[in-house]
Amino acid sequence: MFNKLINDSAAKSPWLYHINSGSCNGCDIELVACLTPRYDAERFGFKLAGTPRHADIVVVSGPITSQSRERLIRTLAQVPEPKCVVSLGSCPKSGNVFKGSYSVEAPLDNYCHVDVSVAGCTPKPEAIMEGLYKAALILKEKREAMHK
Amino acid sequence: MMFPFLKTAIHNAFTKPSTEAFPCPEGEGLGHYRGRIFFNPESCVDCGMCIRVCSPAAITVEREEVEGGVNITRTFDLTSCTFCATCEDFCEEGSIKMTTDYHMVGTKHEDLIVSGTTFKKKVLGNLVCDQDNCIYCGLCARNCPQNAITVDRTTKTWTVDHEKCVKCGICIGKCPKKVLKFEEPKEEGVVFDAEKCVYCTLCAKKCPVGAIEVDRATKTWTINRENCIKCGACVKGCPKQALSMGPIED
Repeated sequence: MFNKLINDSAAKSPWLYHINSGSCNGCDIELVACLTPRYDAERFGFKLAGTPRHADIVVVSGPITSQSRERLIRTLAQVPEPKCVVSLGSCPKSGNVFKGSYSVEAPLDNYCHVDVSVAGCTPKPEAIMEGLYKAALILKEKREAMHK
Repeated sequence: MMFPFLKTAIHNAFTKPSTEAFPCPEGEGLGHYRGRIFFNPESCVDCGMCIRVCSPAAITVEREEVEGGVNITRTFDLTSCTFCATCEDFCEEGSIKMTTDYHMVGTKHEDLIVSGTTFKKKVLGNLVCDQDNCIYCGLCARNCPQNAITVDRTTKTWTVDHEKCVKCGICIGKCPKKVLKFEEPKEEGVVFDAEKCVYCTLCAKKCPVGAIEVDRATKTWTINRENCIKCGACVKGCPKQALSMGPIED
């Protein structure tokens, strides 16, 4: 019963963890704008977590530079199941204008399964909200499948 | 004043919240936001300029040979695009447009793809008859759906009305001696008029494949026919109408 209470509560408040893997900061400030009272993603229970071990949804931005690749893989491994990975902007999915560079190791699909991708350079906060909302629904499904 | 905040408090009690609604109402506060690409394959002439100017190489093209022409499929990968709108600026035909649609969220790669197929018809030349081997049986004339062919057995003449002929090819199949065929079409391309040209080099700058070379000093205009893709950008860009599209004369 206690477990059920925890699971039901966790489904209502997915915690976010944001990884910047060499992003230009465009997507990062839009993600933060999303959490401000103007767009208010917190109405869906989203909250930025301080450590990947507390996170449910991981938001990745940036084209995954060689320097950040190892750290990205390590951080993603620390996120407990069920987790949901959201790629923010064009960079993590393809490398954008940096693709083919010696120091860029996109796409993100090589390292983990990407559940939701938000396109745009940068995406509007409304689009990010839509993506996060979709991720929360996927997370809920994953959680239900896990506890069956 | 005792309660300086009272006025603001009353005002706020009767106004809408400053938080944006979710989902966002359509078309509100979008301004000049560049979102999902709209591509019109009907007006595309396959000049390749968009691919050349795309810095993240988000545009790909596939060609498929089908009966009577080529199917050209152009694909815009929105997960690779920087939404710089350079392709829109450079598109001579206005086939590419940036819309303000920001709903670019997908769980699959197919959700974030815009593509369109252009059909380019293969041009056939005029119908010709090898009159040395023709027996003037008249089968072609009898089977022609447009009555474009006239055959006279007594005077041994075979004529075709090119205006009426729709190039269906039925007569070619019916001919017992296989003497009918479509001649190779005269190659279409850019035709240069040296009298009108002022050697301004605008055509060379407009050419998406760099096929044109203009030398102002020696007043020469040369085109590399192998590289030319017949997009017509130079014809439109010429201020003196010295260039036109038509059959090439060697």
